[in-house]
Amino acid sequence: MRKFIILIFFSQCIYNTVIAQQNTVLKLVHKVGNQPLTLYTEVYKNQWNEPFTVNKFSYYMAHLQIVYDNGKKTYTYHKPYHLVVENDSTTKTLMLQKELKNITAIKFLIGVDSVQNTSGVQTDDLDPMKGMFWTWNTGYIYAKLEGQSDSSKAPAHYFSYHIGGYKYVENAARKIELAVSSNAQNAIEEIIIEADILKWFYGTNEIKIIQEPICHQPGKLALAIADNYKNMFQVTAIK
Amino acid sequence: MKIYKVIFSLLCIVFVGISFINIKKHKPTPLKFIVPKGWPKPLYNFKQNPLTIEGFELGKKLFYDERLSKDSTISCASCHQQFSAFANYDHNFSHGYNNSFTTRNSPTLQNLAWQKEFMWDGGVNHLDVQPISPITAKNEMAETLENVIKKIKRDTAYQRMFKAAFGDETINTQRMGKALSQFMLMLVSSNSKYDKVMRGEDTFNLPEKLGYQIFQQKCVSCHTEPFFTDFSFRNIGMPLDATLNDIGRMRITNNNTDSLKFKVPSLRNVNITFPYGHDGRFFALSNLFEHYRKNMQPIATTDVLLKNKMPLSNFQIGQLTAFLYTLTDSSFITNKMFAAPAYTKPIILHQH
Repeated sequence: MRKFIILIFFSQCIYNTVIAQQNTVLKLVHKVGNQPLTLYTEVYKNQWNEPFTVNKFSYYMAHLQIVYDNGKKTYTYHKPYHLVVENDSTTKTLMLQKELKNITAIKFLIGVDSVQNTSGVQTDDLDPMKGMFWTWNTGYIYAKLEGQSDSSKAPAHYFSYHIGGYKYVENAARKIELAVSSNAQNAIEEIIIEADILKWFYGTNEIKIIQEPICHQPGKLALAIADNYKNMFQVTAIK
Repeated sequence: MKIYKVIFSLLCIVFVGISFINIKKHKPTPLKFIVPKGWPKPLYNFKQNPLTIEGFELGKKLFYDERLSKDSTISCASCHQQFSAFANYDHNFSHGYNNSFTTRNSPTLQNLAWQKEFMWDGGVNHLDVQPISPITAKNEMAETLENVIKKIKRDTAYQRMFKAAFGDETINTQRMGKALSQFMLMLVSSNSKYDKVMRGEDTFNLPEKLGYQIFQQKCVSCHTEPFFTDFSFRNIGMPLDATLNDIGRMRITNNNTDSLKFKVPSLRNVNITFPYGHDGRFFALSNLFEHYRKNMQPIATTDVLLKNKMPLSNFQIGQLTAFLYTLTDSSFITNKMFAAPAYTKPIILHQH
């Protein structure tokens, strides 16, 4: 009897470790153009030749889904809301609880559904304590980019983009769908998604720090920036 | 050997039974929310936050706890005083952290279960998240949520009370908000002389009666019974104060037509909640009446009902004042249930 229990225990252990090794990992890499993102010290330039540093960069990645088995199956990440914070590396590695093969698409939302914006205090990554929450005009900040730029006329040459808004006309949540082509038949160990901060400033709309150093409320400017950064993601490697 | 086994299994059963009894004991006691006769259904979703005595007591402790502020000098109750129907008595602006001023007049906290949007501009959409605003505002309690939760977690009294109210020791922003809501939801003012008259338990004297009639003609379309507000946002012709630059509802909606609109305040307990107006610029009822009949400056977004100001004779003002005094609910402002909890020395666990 005892031997049997021990056997079960060990087989369970072996099973767990093998499976854990095979589970796919999703990594988020933040960049500014071709350069890796370094907070505070590195000076970058946007498309409008405006120099800037980055002090804060964070966003809600919500309802992450990965279409695999050549489009037959969909994996849903266990956390409906995942807050990605640049200076917390643990938030940039997502351990998917499944081994995935033949991925064809990665889908997620940059934002928070309106029901979580209107039904009181939420927990975990949505805890208002995380600082991604407007207290005076209830609602989540979906994405944050802060830094300093000589082009900014705001105090301390700061520029600060807090993007959010859940009401119908000012809904800044953006659905992202990244098509993936991977021919590998093996289980995928790692997916790397890059986010390029430069995309905040151009694309659908021209955002110049000299004109708009601050966006701290839902509305037109927030929507314009959200329409830009929805294009910042790119799948760069599937291993 | 067999006997031992029997005894052992019997003991097991007994222990399991005892554990069930204990679980039952931990269940918080439901607290009934009574809707006054003739009032509409509350808007607050009690299903997501069922009222209990333990939750209410916890909310009360939090409401009166100065440690929720950065330097432990300001509690919610500092600017929401029971004797002023939970407004800030005799203060146009309230005093915040480090000699700061708020920029709006502290509103009463009463009949909140029927309110959909909070703050003078309606920017806050749920009662549970409302306290986060004054707790974190630099010119109010100026504390971070992280620190508040840290301080609460260290206090063994809170550890006990959160467990009693919510079933386990988890202390987080959500539970703090829910507990504060439980206390605030119970702040129902429905026992003024006016209410007694409506229930047939009392009668108006002549000036009160005449005042009520004038009220029906001039005031009731915005200050609608039984809350004495219709919870709408309106511009009553108060010119912009350049030192505040407060555009009101427009700040929330980004809509020009909402410029200088503020929430219609309830007139319940109006006599004890002076000064009046979103920025407390009217120090007495008489200032308000002068505003309505003479001083107001109608602009494009001013309410249509006030386009030609509001003619009021001195006699009418006298009668209206008599009626407004009947809205004071002395049983509400003296109810021991809402008073500060008896001081018990909190035990702080030192963390190293």
